[in-house]
Amino acid sequence: MLTGSKTSFKIKQLVPDFKDKTLNFSNTALRSGETSDFTCLPGERVLQRTQPVRKPRAGGGSSLTGALLCTTFRVAFVPEEGLSKTEDRDSVPVFLGEHDVALASIERVVAVSPSRWKVLSARSSLRFRPEELVLFCRDLRVLRFHFEKSCAGTAEITSAIARVYQPSVPASLSSFQRSALGSVGEEGWEMKQYLSNRGTDPQMNWFEGLQDWERELARTGATAWRVSSVNDRFEMATSLPKFNVVPQRILDTELKRSFAHFTEGRVPRWCWRHPEGSDLLRAASFQSNIYHEKHDARNLEALLFGRHPQCVIVEVGEDMPPLSEIQAAHSRLRALCLGDIPASLSVPDEKWLSSLEATRWLDHVRSCLRRSAEVSCLLAEGDLAVVLQEAEDRDLNCVVSSLVQIMSDPHCRTLPGFQNLVQKEWVSAGFRFLHRNNYTRDSDKEESPVFLLFLDCVWQLLQQFPSRFEITEVFLLTLHDRAHLPLYSTFLFNCQRERGRNTQHLSQSYTPVNGWQELVNGGLAPGWGGPSFPSVWDWALHCTPERRDSFRKPSNAPLSSGIAPNGNSEMPSSHELSDCSGSGPGLLLLFSKGSLVPAPHLLPWRNAGGAASSWKNHRRAPSCDGLPRLERALKGQPLGPRGPLLPLLLGPCLRVWRGCYLRGALQIQVPPPVSSHLHVDFLASEVERLRGRLALAKGLDRHGNCKRAESRGTNQKPRQETTNHNFLFDGNGRTGCCPERRYTQTPTRGQKHPKLPP
Amino acid sequence: MLSLGSGGGKSTKPSFVSYVTPEDMKIKEKEEGLRSKHPYLLPGEVVFCSANHVLKYTQEDASQRGVYGTLLCTNFKIAFISDESASQETAPPFRNKLLSENDIPLTCVDHIYGVSDEKKKLIIGGQVKSKYPSKLIIQCKDLRVFHFSLTYAKEEEAKKIFQGIVHHSLEPKSLKCVFAFSYCETASPSQASRKSSLTLMFETKEDWSVELGRTKGNCKVSSANADYVISEKLPQFFVVPFAVSDDDILRFLGKGIPFWCWSHHSGCALFKMACLPTIQEDGISQKYMHRMLDAVTQDQLCPVKIEDLSSCLPALQDLQLSYNKFKQLFLIDSTTEFWVSDMKWFSSLENSGWLEIIRQCLMKAVEIVDYLESAHTSVLIVESFFVPAVPEEHCSDLCCVLSSLVQIMLDPYYRTRSGFQSLIQKEWVAGGHSFLDRCNHLYQKEKEVPAPVFLLFLECVWQLLQQHAPAFQFSETYLTVLSDSINIPLFSTFLFNSQHHRDTAMKPGHPEAQRSPLNFPSVWDWSLQFDCKAQSLFTNPLYVAKPIQDKALRKTSHQKHQRQLSLPNTLSKPSPRKGFFKEETDNLKKIFLGKRISKWLNPTESSKELYESWQRKPLDYQGLLLPYLDGPSVRVWMQRYLRWVPEAQIFGGGSITTVNRVLELASEIQDLQKEVERRSCRMNSSTAWTQVYSGPPLSARLSSFPFTATHAWSFKPAIPSSIRQSLGSVSSLADKEDDDCQGSGVL
Repeated sequence: MLTGSKTSFKIKQLVPDFKDKTLNFSNTALRSGETSDFTCLPGERVLQRTQPVRKPRAGGGSSLTGALLCTTFRVAFVPEEGLSKTEDRDSVPVFLGEHDVALASIERVVAVSPSRWKVLSARSSLRFRPEELVLFCRDLRVLRFHFEKSCAGTAEITSAIARVYQPSVPASLSSFQRSALGSVGEEGWEMKQYLSNRGTDPQMNWFEGLQDWERELARTGATAWRVSSVNDRFEMATSLPKFNVVPQRILDTELKRSFAHFTEGRVPRWCWRHPEGSDLLRAASFQSNIYHEKHDARNLEALLFGRHPQCVIVEVGEDMPPLSEIQAAHSRLRALCLGDIPASLSVPDEKWLSSLEATRWLDHVRSCLRRSAEVSCLLAEGDLAVVLQEAEDRDLNCVVSSLVQIMSDPHCRTLPGFQNLVQKEWVSAGFRFLHRNNYTRDSDKEESPVFLLFLDCVWQLLQQFPSRFEITEVFLLTLHDRAHLPLYSTFLFNCQRERGRNTQHLSQSYTPVNGWQELVNGGLAPGWGGPSFPSVWDWALHCTPERRDSFRKPSNAPLSSGIAPNGNSEMPSSHELSDCSGSGPGLLLLFSKGSLVPAPHLLPWRNAGGAASSWKNHRRAPSCDGLPRLERALKGQPLGPRGPLLPLLLGPCLRVWRGCYLRGALQIQVPPPVSSHLHVDFLASEVERLRGRLALAKGLDRHGNCKRAESRGTNQKPRQETTNHNFLFDGNGRTGCCPERRYTQTPTRGQKHPKLPP
Repeated sequence: MLSLGSGGGKSTKPSFVSYVTPEDMKIKEKEEGLRSKHPYLLPGEVVFCSANHVLKYTQEDASQRGVYGTLLCTNFKIAFISDESASQETAPPFRNKLLSENDIPLTCVDHIYGVSDEKKKLIIGGQVKSKYPSKLIIQCKDLRVFHFSLTYAKEEEAKKIFQGIVHHSLEPKSLKCVFAFSYCETASPSQASRKSSLTLMFETKEDWSVELGRTKGNCKVSSANADYVISEKLPQFFVVPFAVSDDDILRFLGKGIPFWCWSHHSGCALFKMACLPTIQEDGISQKYMHRMLDAVTQDQLCPVKIEDLSSCLPALQDLQLSYNKFKQLFLIDSTTEFWVSDMKWFSSLENSGWLEIIRQCLMKAVEIVDYLESAHTSVLIVESFFVPAVPEEHCSDLCCVLSSLVQIMLDPYYRTRSGFQSLIQKEWVAGGHSFLDRCNHLYQKEKEVPAPVFLLFLECVWQLLQQHAPAFQFSETYLTVLSDSINIPLFSTFLFNSQHHRDTAMKPGHPEAQRSPLNFPSVWDWSLQFDCKAQSLFTNPLYVAKPIQDKALRKTSHQKHQRQLSLPNTLSKPSPRKGFFKEETDNLKKIFLGKRISKWLNPTESSKELYESWQRKPLDYQGLLLPYLDGPSVRVWMQRYLRWVPEAQIFGGGSITTVNRVLELASEIQDLQKEVERRSCRMNSSTAWTQVYSGPPLSARLSSFPFTATHAWSFKPAIPSSIRQSLGSVSSLADKEDDDCQGSGVL
């Protein structure tokens, strides 16, 4: 219980603010001396403060001077020059400012003086006056604070930080959360109320309710699927979400019988429809020690095949690193990048490359990308169901299915699209965030940075195809850092069921039908339950507006909504029309070691004696013709601008994510990733300015100069329209930029988009 | 599909036709009738031999796909003219005017392998054989690899072309046989364009004076070597400290003189020196050295530091070895090999040591910058001070690399295109770098010490460029094209060992036959190679240009200030760490060796302060530029080394897309600006609109854009799957075609 008498005083002042819908902590600033600008959270207390402290600026230049504070929640740095600027209180993020670091993300505290340095723990005592404080964070950041000569209490604040950060005690986790979100009692309820009161982004799809899934079905244009609520009470499968998408023709009663045939009851569920018509599904492995009734077998096959004549099962775990190896590789990479304290880079430069190779992290990135690229190519062939199968369907399946969608679906490369994707394939699908992140340090065996591996894969794609993404490196980096913070509902739970249990009230508020208000009227006592955790996607809570602005590539027009990013407006292709659902079992293929093998024996129920007849049927099935076509899809050329983004996996093409892993080691040398966009921003504003002036000039000589305007019209028009779209992000890459040979055959489409070659 | 390679050699439709729309095919057929089989020949170019029905593989793997055509060998190049090359002509991406896509200049040939009976054998010039291999693999110095099959050609033609190619590209020849000579005899000289360019050629006294004036150097231009009376290695004009007299220069025939390179605004300067041949009679040579060092220090009122490069940088032979290893990483024939090598990529990259050499050069340059910038000490670069191994050793190899790098880091002028070209003229061409010997163009084994010294320099510049792109006016593409131009035997810049060498070579060989000295084109005359549109890719759209008046002001005030300060400083309290003093001259050797050791034990430490103070200030692209030297920062020049590797092409991706967007934006701004001016001023000026390169649409470009821009359709697997079972993989080409039509019909 860290909330003492001090906080209750503050909270009384807080109450009126909460009634307005904006949380404004400015009135409650802890007015002790000059720190008028530091605002405490409901459960937060300031333990120590000192100033002046210098913090080196990322990317070089003069360092910032300000005050350093240690609270029960964070180590905060309040720059002096920043004080006058941030008049607009609303723009200040609630939880973490730009210079703050939460206690929970600190891994090591090191005090440095000119002659010595010491790693501090809670019990160690500091016998010298530190000149510099170095904080090593879990998210690979390294923060340095230089104490000025005039600075008093440097030893005190250093040991205070060492005392409170306490990474390994489970209890400290909840006290950390409580200090941010408030605890039992009035103030906790206020915070909860505030958080649930925040409007959610209308573009955000949480994949929690029935409508959410239906929205996704409509977006992708999937028709033969329906949302089933058979798992509404998590009775069938505890780790699955409430709502799952299954083939239309399977009844709920039939579906119920299928759960037992899969590990943890994770039946094949629909994830995404490729515009060419194929569907992506994911499932856990088969339960083999179960008796398969004939009736069951038919349902199971229907689940796998959907309405397609062919089904490819992809063993995701094959040739992929085990989770423990991912964890080991990540720690090796950490060790390489952070090096030893305080020498920033202990590996000699000339040995850097081979050491990097020895971490094998990039090999794992490569194998994830490779597997996803293969699946993307399969999907692009159209008219088949691709089932990603993994033992538990909760780790690498998340990586592969989301990477496939990023490669194939331009919508997933936009900011809302990406967030929806993570929500769909990770949060709702039951990725064990809590265990994998190991916040409480009590599940070391389970710890594995699968999500970070995924982010690295996305970054590789981003750096190979910079113009095809709307999200930026800054966004990925911020998400990477926040994933280390045990504060968000997104990352704190293993599945939807747990999440719902802990934050019932919150999850209600996500549903569009005034869930929150009903709850209040329902008369739940204030302070009921634990703290309510915000979602990580509520960026305004913990990021400055400047940072949020750099989440997207600069663009002066939103993505034109007219173009359905997934092409559902297209005519259904010929084979879609012929529903082959009734024509017996289709062709089942296993994708293994880079090739497709017909594998009817794969399904346990087909091996059983009762299913012998269906096996016969299958051999006569004509669909074997499709095999070479699929083989070719894997071997063939990348499918051009319309096709998926196929990353290059050659040694020289995969890079280290410098901006992330090396910012600690080369703190000053890694330029902030924002800088490259500044030029484009500048150019964009220049275009706007000139356009404005041109329009003005046009208005002036409307009478005289028609002729001249016309003469240059041919020259100028296409250009202008080009820039009306996004500057960097090729949002409408699907239709806008066909290769020539396609273009000649679809002239109507070309006319709409003047970007095409003259 | 397979029939093409293996059996029916008469098939007229190679595989790539399937990627061309029917309309295109019609056009092509029409053109085919009109097209003559003869290549476009430059003035003075003569065809030696040719062979028809040569198959050029588009794939090196087992698929044996290819294009039929004629293989020619001229006195300039090895050319392949496809029988169906029309499709290439329709959209020339970034065409070199001198060479088309399948041309290999004779001097660009690196290695030739012959394959007969599945055995690959390196072919060495000089071995005349009656047999010829069935397959020819030509590796170029710009890392292209060509595979030609001679199986379907007529026997005597094949034999002839094989012998011709080997003879003309692999065997020793005399300088007069280089194509530039026959070219210049026939081509009309284009004097005008050369004069108008901003590049200083450093062939006249005026150029040196201009440079001295620009940097406010406190030295004199010496014309002691006019008409090469003293040394053939030295340029006619050079700059030395005031105290160096003509007699001094004569004494050791130009050795042991400090040549001025560049002056820092603080008054200290950069010099380079060819060492004395041997330090025999101690008295004389030491006294002489003593005086020379005096000349450097007293003129500049600065202490001086001698940098001996041989002790810290690799020898030329090691350079060559390391580069050869490095090069092999990108010259892998078969796809499978590529994927196998992939796993070991980083360690094999490290083993080649090439990146390490680059790092060492940059590190050394930073150290010299440190002396000039923070200690205001003059630096004298010396190559192999104490190793009088090669009698002709001169300050023209690593000295050039270092001195040019230092100048690029310190002086923003050299980061503009004209400045960079002037720098190469000053340090390399006038500085007497033996381009001919280092490039090994003539295959004269005993004379030449091949080493990619100039390439090393370009590599170092590229590292700076990719780390600080907005500081450079030129682009990566410019550097790549420049590195290619070394292997085109046409430009006076890269053809000779020294200015004297060039002047004698350009003199009419037979006095009675020729009328005037030959006039070789300079490589800086880019219009010879590329048209305006293509040249627009040489400039960096994000270059942060310098505010002009501001710079002039700052520079003068700064200089005065520094001069006053440094006067008492140097007299009373010379920096003990870096200074060079008179007393020490007696036992140069001991001191420098000692110093060197202490220095090199911890090389990064010395410049750490410099880095720290540099990083404290916000980055000024017009100021000092330091490279990052840590492991992850030194990278592979992807554009140069990977542009021909189809597996390394990102379709519609790569950082080039961003650059292109910005380029388009910038040009649009220019257009709009002009439009605004025109409207507001009501002036009817017909200004030329800047042309932006407009190639294929952005999304259809490859990441190695200007080079292999359009369809380099590969049949290699899009995804590297480990081991493929060839289950039903033999799909017919017709099938593929059908699928394509179907697919696009539906869309």
